[in-house]
Amino acid sequence: MSESKKSIRSEISVRKLHKSFGDNKVLNGIDFDLFEGEKVVVLGPSGSGKSTFLRCINRLEEPTSGEISFQDTPIDEKNVREMRAKIGMVFQHFNLISNLTVMENLTLAPVKLKRLDIVEAEKKARKLLRHIGLTEKADSFPASLSGGQKQRVAIIRALMMEPEVLLFDEPTSALDPESIGDVLDLIREVADNGMTIMIVTHEMNFAKEIASRIVFIDKGKIIEENTPDKFFSHPKTPRVQEFLKKVL
Amino acid sequence: MENFFSKIVELWTTPEYIDSLFHGFLLTIEIAFFAVFLGFLLGLIIALIETGKSKWLNPFKFICRVYVTIIRGTPMALQLFIMFFIIFAIRDFPQIITAVLAFAFNSAAYSSEIIRGGILSVDVGQTEAGMALGLSNFTIFTKIVAPQAIKNIIPALGNEVITVFKETAIVSMVGMYDLNMAAKDIGSGQNMASYVVPMFTAALFYLAVVYLISFVIKQIEKRMRKSDVRV
Repeated sequence: MSESKKSIRSEISVRKLHKSFGDNKVLNGIDFDLFEGEKVVVLGPSGSGKSTFLRCINRLEEPTSGEISFQDTPIDEKNVREMRAKIGMVFQHFNLISNLTVMENLTLAPVKLKRLDIVEAEKKARKLLRHIGLTEKADSFPASLSGGQKQRVAIIRALMMEPEVLLFDEPTSALDPESIGDVLDLIREVADNGMTIMIVTHEMNFAKEIASRIVFIDKGKIIEENTPDKFFSHPKTPRVQEFLKKVL
Repeated sequence: MENFFSKIVELWTTPEYIDSLFHGFLLTIEIAFFAVFLGFLLGLIIALIETGKSKWLNPFKFICRVYVTIIRGTPMALQLFIMFFIIFAIRDFPQIITAVLAFAFNSAAYSSEIIRGGILSVDVGQTEAGMALGLSNFTIFTKIVAPQAIKNIIPALGNEVITVFKETAIVSMVGMYDLNMAAKDIGSGQNMASYVVPMFTAALFYLAVVYLISFVIKQIEKRMRKSDVRV
């Protein structure tokens, strides 16, 4: 047992993370570990700090205090770019680069960061585009894509870098009900292929289905952590019981 | 009316007048062109300082703020006088350089505000996407922010070019022989002894150039909008 525990690599570890915006304390001491292969779903009421927590991991938000490590290396100002290249991120509002075509969105980072040359990158991009059925959109600009298409392109853009962890910040919150399914299917597939995933979402059924662990944040603190089965059937804290009563 | 037409003929058949007119026109174009170019470069530097995030930029930000406030808060004509009669009150110093610098320093303040606004108008999510991919600040700026900012900047910057071009007419106040001065000179007592035709001719010259600038700006705008087209 201890042997197998040892072989599981820590991808991300967060210690005593605090984040304030002015006087507004958003995160109040978060301790958290993400291990290789895990699918962690972060739940919590709006304004609880879920997104801020996720954004602190790749330092899109600068933590007020605390330490965040990637594979046991603390992320600091010097190595942050290198770390970000290994930690993919998918945003609520897709954030495809509007002045670049779909193909350019996919190839920009791997080529600029010298992971692939342009020919290899385009080949890989075409393969991924074919996989999500958007081959014919390669030379289109993001403005001509639907929300669901944009988000699926954003997901394969993250995959182009072959990240070791993928962070999803409410990936379906800005989508119409019809495209939510397509995006969730793609996330499920990425998860099934073994990617280590952290996802902030309001899709309870999806959370139940995909999560290996659920983390519940309230007022900037993790107040409950459990397997999805236990989390949904036997919530321990009154706060989670109340939350689940409202959302389920 | 007959007199009016004969004056037009007189203007366009007297080599001396045509020569004066085109000399003046050329000087106007020269001052405006170099002033706009230099003003844009200086404005870009100011805008980059003002939108920069490094802490060591703070004292420079303050200087830029003061500069922009002073330039925008005082008349252009006074700035021109200060350049001519105080800062560059040097015997035989080329007038055109003094004039170009005066307009460039003025235009820089306005351009910097336009560029700054353009940079700030780019959705922060665009920058974050670049950051999350591990791109450098330089790549994020040159590949993502700048191309999007330019699209927002072009119309306002076009206006600024037109403003500078027309405003150069005040160099006649310090005795420079630009298009405006040429019109006044040709129409004066020693020459045609009538201001109507030379001044309306000068107006047409200004108008033609302004029209040309707006046309070019419109074409550039059209090209830049190509990524906004929903097909």
